[in-house]
Amino acid sequence: MSATQERLAPPRAAGGYGPEPLLEIIPSPRPRGLVKFITSTDHKQIGLNYMVTAFAAFLVAGIMAELMRTQLIVPDNHFLVADTYNQLVTMHGTIMLFVFGGPFAFGLANYIVPLQIGAPDMAFPRFNNLSYWLYLGGFVVMMFGFLTNNGAADFGWFGYAPLTEAIHSPGPGADMWVVGIALTGFSGIFTAVNVITTVFTLRAPGMVMFRMPIFTWNQLVTMFLVLLAFPVLTAAMALLWCDRHLTTHFYAPSGGGQPILWQNLFWFFGHPEVYILALPYFGVVTEVISTMSKKPVFGYKGMVAATLSIGGLSMGVWAHHMYTTGAVLLPFFAALSLLIAVPTGIKFFNWIGTMWQGVITLSTSMLFCLGFLGLFLLGGITGVMLAEPPLDFQLHDTYFVIAHFHYVMIGATAFGAFAAIYYWFPKFTGRMLDERIGRISFAIIFIGVNLTFFPQHDLGLRGMQRRIFTYSSFEGWNFLNLLSSIGAYLIGIGTLFTVINLIMSVRQGRIAGDNPWDGQTLEWATSSPPPEHNFELLPPIRSERPLWDANHPDQLTEVGH
Amino acid sequence: MRFEYKLMMGAGVFLATICIIYGFWSQEATGTVLLLFGCAAYVLVAVYLLMQWRRRQGVDRPEDRMDAEQSDGAGEVGFFPAASIWPAAIGIGGIFAGVALIYGTWYWVIAGVFIFGGVIGFTVEGEAREE
Amino acid sequence: MSLIASAPLPATHWGGPSGITTFAPEINRVWWVTYLFAIPIGLIVIGLITWAVIRWHRRGPDDNRRPRQFQYHIPLEAAYTIIPLVVVAVLFGFMYGVENNIIHVKKNPDVKITVQGFQWGWRFTYPNGHQEVGSVAAEPSIEDVQNLPILRMPEHETVQFTLQSDDVNHSFYVPEFLFKRDLIQRVHNVVDVNVTTTGNYIGECTQLCGTYHAFMRFRLLVMTKSAYNTWYRSTKPNSITCAGGGNC
Repeated sequence: MSATQERLAPPRAAGGYGPEPLLEIIPSPRPRGLVKFITSTDHKQIGLNYMVTAFAAFLVAGIMAELMRTQLIVPDNHFLVADTYNQLVTMHGTIMLFVFGGPFAFGLANYIVPLQIGAPDMAFPRFNNLSYWLYLGGFVVMMFGFLTNNGAADFGWFGYAPLTEAIHSPGPGADMWVVGIALTGFSGIFTAVNVITTVFTLRAPGMVMFRMPIFTWNQLVTMFLVLLAFPVLTAAMALLWCDRHLTTHFYAPSGGGQPILWQNLFWFFGHPEVYILALPYFGVVTEVISTMSKKPVFGYKGMVAATLSIGGLSMGVWAHHMYTTGAVLLPFFAALSLLIAVPTGIKFFNWIGTMWQGVITLSTSMLFCLGFLGLFLLGGITGVMLAEPPLDFQLHDTYFVIAHFHYVMIGATAFGAFAAIYYWFPKFTGRMLDERIGRISFAIIFIGVNLTFFPQHDLGLRGMQRRIFTYSSFEGWNFLNLLSSIGAYLIGIGTLFTVINLIMSVRQGRIAGDNPWDGQTLEWATSSPPPEHNFELLPPIRSERPLWDANHPDQLTEVGH
Repeated sequence: MRFEYKLMMGAGVFLATICIIYGFWSQEATGTVLLLFGCAAYVLVAVYLLMQWRRRQGVDRPEDRMDAEQSDGAGEVGFFPAASIWPAAIGIGGIFAGVALIYGTWYWVIAGVFIFGGVIGFTVEGEAREE
Repeated sequence: MSLIASAPLPATHWGGPSGITTFAPEINRVWWVTYLFAIPIGLIVIGLITWAVIRWHRRGPDDNRRPRQFQYHIPLEAAYTIIPLVVVAVLFGFMYGVENNIIHVKKNPDVKITVQGFQWGWRFTYPNGHQEVGSVAAEPSIEDVQNLPILRMPEHETVQFTLQSDDVNHSFYVPEFLFKRDLIQRVHNVVDVNVTTTGNYIGECTQLCGTYHAFMRFRLLVMTKSAYNTWYRSTKPNSITCAGGGNC
């Protein structure tokens, strides 16, 4: 059951830019249905597996959020008891980050990166399949915690020791959290190895590194970060497991351990993690804005440099999550954290430059990108505020931080994922999503996000702490919490519109064709969905937008490469 | 391979720089060790890529040449099996290994069966392609 | 500028308190400088995006124009690299001195109080060994703030808190302080606070510490120096007062 791909040397087509055919010599039997789901090593199938599972996880964690916001809609509410609330808050965060945000991006990487670089598949197809099973297994294991007596993990998604020690968090729910995260972590590491090897070794002829699309660059840098960060997380989790089961004392103070060791290890992973969750979606946004504006990416080299800077700097700022512990070198982390705003700003201006003097199609994916720009701008500004210790001493662990990270996470991760769905769904399925339903979905979600999280800035300034299951009526937090919860329900409704859109369009959407958006990169140079080894024909690659060059030879990039 | 090597080495050098500044300024053990290991990880990969580059004696692969034609990539690209049950087998083993960490040692037996069987099947499948 | 910076500043604190400690003016100044940069930059970026979308959007499905395919403008790119670098450098400069002032601790403070947190309550120990203790056990409902442990401190004096945890991580926060510090075992945390006005405030734990994290609160009573000294002299050394009466 092997397949190799041979590239023959046919006669050159007349006229310069004609594509040259590739031939598949050894066809292989194609499994269908459930067998295909389990055994296929095709990067496109595995990518879809990841994305569908991740989106389902997004809905599950979203429902958890709706329950939490219902508990907080009025003071002294008794909709949920404290324990249940703490489990929901922990699992909501854990699932959104470890099961939705990262894996959805890994799924996109799986599907799109080989196509964008002209490769027939990922470098290690069977290993890729294994990655998916470890991920799915991790998700299922951590959810099983809800069925145990002591419930699922309830100590917050960053699980500070000593709260996570066996005496403070007895029961298998916490262990399921540890194991679930370890499994999804291994899945991520294996995916990173796969993607990096694919990008380094399987590019099509002429696809030099500086001609790769920005999406592929962003995924590459993301995978560098995964390689650095996830092993540290796994090590931290292993030490925690030992403390819980083997009477070691890595974090337990009673035996000489250091609780703050957990925080250092965790955040050394945790900060690159949030860039792992953002960078791929920056890549999505770059692709969509460029295609929808009919322009090349403005400042391509600057974008690559900015992405590399963000990746590098993100490895040095971890303790800005620990300013209030009294145990970190404040100026070092403050300086680097402020510095990371600079390459992010460069990216913003490059996105604007891409739109500038373009012809902008306001498709749903473009609307989600515009939404991303607005949300991430505000989230980035509040991030600069939090990077400054004198302000962070006031704001840390309050709702201000919750507002900040939801603005950046929903802006980048969620809106990026929605933009990716609306942009690449035609490529995945061969059918278009309904644009009208998409616009309605965007509008409701955008209003909902702002209604939910903008008031939370003020709640934080007023002193409302994080992770409290209820609050008293005289604190002055009532009205803002009410607004916030109403907004949360709106987000749910808006998401439902997209879910309906997806279900309808898979069977009944308008047929898309190869390139419905006049896209510029190679994934649009093949059928929708692509054939088994991706390309029948590949155009010559002379820039980072080979398909645009082939389709519009009269409109190549000015002052080109 | 040269640019890829420079990319990884750049990451390693950057981490080394931060490690030195942080180590001397903060005198804090955890962060310094983590940055050091991070640097070592990237340098390890960079050295491997450098060896690959040297082995090619500096001849560019088609994907590193600005003027390459698609026909330059002619020939076998790699081994891309269309479907395989073995990753799922190993995956189930991995999941049971995780469950063993939660519920007890005897789950290692089940995990072991799946992992060993899966790895053997995986390897045999890879050899089968030689035919 | 300094007159504005020490005013209540509803704009930077919205509904929140503007600070009752000696550090409040400095912190407010940091807020002001941050806003001074953040608001114009934010407005410019939003303005550019909005303008681009309005001016250059596609006029309809039959609009098949293709725009000029430019990709670089080195002077512009250099500008929006260097200007943000300068901005963050200025921000760093403004806040570096402030953070050092806030975390600085004196060798000889006026009053020393030990603050200990546990699941789920507080214990305050005064120099003569007198303790005020209270926990969730005395709070039948979240609305109940009558039975919280009371932290008393004098105004206009440097009060040094030594922060300790009995078990898991907690955090010591009074919103009006504009400041918090964590209680972590084996981390020696000492902070100095000098409050400039008397009053009654609520303090809270801001680090998730288990089931009743939301109930882990205390009352802060800032008294005049003479009132504090009167109260302090009235306490018996090594005695314990339990919030809600009875035994702790």
